[in-house]
Amino acid sequence: MNNVERLLGAARARIVGGRALTWSARGMACAAAGALAVEAVMHVYPVDPVAPLLDACVAFGLVVVAAGWARAWPASFEVARIADAALGSRERLSTALEFAAANGSLVVLQRADAERWAASADPGGVREWRLPRFAVVIAVLAAAGAFALALTPNQALQDLRNHRAAIAAQQAAAQQIAVLAKNAEATKTAEPAQVKSLTQDLRQLAQDVRNAPDPATAVADISKAQQTLGALRDPSLPSRQQAAAAAGAQLQQNPAASKAGSALAAQDQKTAAAELRKLAGSLGSLSPSQQAQLSAALAAAALAAKDDPALSAKLQAASDALAKGDAAAAQAALRSVADRVDQLAQDASTDGAIAQAINGLQDVKSGPLAQAQGSSQSQGQGQGQGQGQGQGQGQGQGQGQGQGQGQGQGQGQGQGQGQGQGQGQGGTGRGSGQGGGSARTGTTPGKPGETIYVPSQGSPGSAQIGPGQGSSPGTDTQLVPYESVYGQFRSQALSDVDRQVIPEQERALVRAYFGDTAP
Amino acid sequence: MTATREEKPQSATLDPERFRDLADSIEAELGKLMVGQKEVIRLTLTALIAGGHVLIEGVPGLGKTVLVRSLARALHLDFARVQFTPDLMPADITGTQIISEDDSGRRRFQFQAGPIFTNLLLADEINRATPKTQSALLEAMQERQVTAGDKTRPLPLPFFVMATQNPIELEGTYPLPEAQLDRFFFKLVVPFPSADELAEIARRTTGTEEPDLRPVAGGDDLEAMSRLAREVPVAGHVMEHAVALVLGTHPDRDGAPDEVRRYVRWGASPRALQTLVLSGRIRALLAGRFNVAFEDLHAVALPALRHRIFLNFEADAAGVGADEIVNAVLAKHVGA
Repeated sequence: MNNVERLLGAARARIVGGRALTWSARGMACAAAGALAVEAVMHVYPVDPVAPLLDACVAFGLVVVAAGWARAWPASFEVARIADAALGSRERLSTALEFAAANGSLVVLQRADAERWAASADPGGVREWRLPRFAVVIAVLAAAGAFALALTPNQALQDLRNHRAAIAAQQAAAQQIAVLAKNAEATKTAEPAQVKSLTQDLRQLAQDVRNAPDPATAVADISKAQQTLGALRDPSLPSRQQAAAAAGAQLQQNPAASKAGSALAAQDQKTAAAELRKLAGSLGSLSPSQQAQLSAALAAAALAAKDDPALSAKLQAASDALAKGDAAAAQAALRSVADRVDQLAQDASTDGAIAQAINGLQDVKSGPLAQAQGSSQSQGQGQGQGQGQGQGQGQGQGQGQGQGQGQGQGQGQGQGQGQGQGQGQGGTGRGSGQGGGSARTGTTPGKPGETIYVPSQGSPGSAQIGPGQGSSPGTDTQLVPYESVYGQFRSQALSDVDRQVIPEQERALVRAYFGDTAP
Repeated sequence: MTATREEKPQSATLDPERFRDLADSIEAELGKLMVGQKEVIRLTLTALIAGGHVLIEGVPGLGKTVLVRSLARALHLDFARVQFTPDLMPADITGTQIISEDDSGRRRFQFQAGPIFTNLLLADEINRATPKTQSALLEAMQERQVTAGDKTRPLPLPFFVMATQNPIELEGTYPLPEAQLDRFFFKLVVPFPSADELAEIARRTTGTEEPDLRPVAGGDDLEAMSRLAREVPVAGHVMEHAVALVLGTHPDRDGAPDEVRRYVRWGASPRALQTLVLSGRIRALLAGRFNVAFEDLHAVALPALRHRIFLNFEADAAGVGADEIVNAVLAKHVGA
């Protein structure tokens, strides 16, 4: 059966090769159909990233090819039948194969006949390869359809990505807030009760932001927290600091109190307090004239510190005691002044921690805010009409440059939310810085025709909801169109700067800001 | 020449080459008298080798009787002819008991054998006899024996029935019953000769010389050829194909062609499958092969199936014959 086996072996190779091509086409059709299905479903139930699914389709196609090819692997008898049909051997090969082990005169003759026939047969005639037209058509159509769908804008996928980015932004913001809480808790010099309250507020905020249903809510939570934290601040602190600095400027002209005065003028309350206690301890060593001069300096300082009545009163008490020659009373009064300065230092530290937290929250807010804006814009235009027009008033916190102090606290009254950038206004050259600034919104005006939303804290009864728009998709009651509040913010800011003693060039800066940010 | 079943000797074994030589010799002898009709001759010989009976259909004058008579002479077999008529009785074929008187004057019944006791029986125009008479052939064709009175008598072997019927002049005829038809190995349709063949017929039959047929084989040779043919191997898928062809004639089977579903009342019997396979084996040997091929089955499908397919009234109304049905079955399965 050598010739028969050789012929069947060659025929098998050709059959297997043909079937490999057939199943490759079918596998491609399956993969393309799978990709088409994935792309179609992606427009309803988006998956991101889609690459693993497409890879799975390719893998499925390969499995189909491998499984189909393996299943279609021809048995010897099938090869013989195909060769019989293709080569016109009139069933010689398959009969010889089937009766290979049989006995009988005619069977032996039949095998010999098949051998003779196989010796002269050309296996090239075995062509089982037929173009699987259906599979090819399916593959081409499905691939084209999948490609077209892939190029078609997928709103569902975009929404999914926005949602994920929003969640990521919220998580990142929550982590940053947690860091702020940790930093606030580590503040040693601040008022413990205030620090505790600050820390609790920040931790609660972190939890709220993490669990917020959307970035706009997270932004609103942060803004609300900023307001809450702002309420913790002592509004009299700047005037007290200014009064202390003014008093220090007076005291530094007296030789005995110059160190304490210099420290006060430099807003170094700790050093000033220590120097004042030293001064109190050394009163007994001062000559009467020196005590008189010191009394006069304390009186001048008391006058200069009139914005802090308590400090002024204590300084005046020390001055009066010295003027009367009552060293013990003067000593006690000076220690009381030192205590007051210590309190001021602690209050400043507390305020600094709060301000730092507020500023930190402002930075934190940028991520969710960008997502909220992106989400709102992605919802399409047309939401400007009928949006709640809240009238809010926030506080812009900023870093001011205080003259005479490396880093001062600037506090500006502003409208809206955003990165407040205050500029400290130097005093009269006596080392006290006046923090006066204008709030600056963190959001920049959009392009023409683009609606930008800013968070607002609407006061009760002032919100106006347009008919039929209040529950439209993407509408966030915490956000109002930028242009709707711009005018109010501008008039409020300009009114504020006009009521305060602010140099003209700084006023011009505020006006220029609103000019640049006009919608 | 003729031998009863009891005295039949074991014929010598045959090799395929001798098989073909004998077949060629027989066909050559028949060709001396028969002009053309090679396919009819080949199929008739195939049926004889298979031990089957043949129903030959054709208009008068096509040489049906000549074919049978020539076969008898070429095969050196006894030959008898019965002209079937409506008044023909079964006893006229099988024989009857007659009262005879012996030398001592005693009278007794004696069986007078009919013409069926021969090797080659020509039942001419078989459809003109009544069904009762037609049925007298049933036992003889299937069992190769005749029961008359209370005694069963074997027929001489080999025993072949070559029946003819005329497709025209159907008035006063009795169509063969299905059971009778099924017992015919082949039903052959003798085509009308071509012009050249007609001219040759005229030359051969109107001259002074008569062809002299000589016997080239005997009944034993046919028996040996039959045994050899039954040894031809048939591959499984070829056998399955034969089965599919037979089942394809049944309207209630899956895969039956529309023509079968519409026009066939009853499909071919298992005898059709036996005929297909056995005639396929013989045809393979005659073609010089030692295995049955699909084409062997296809070549004998018409004569093996056409008389075993029973059509319905719709087929008669539409003029659809059994040959169209068989061709539809072949068209569906060839190349499948």
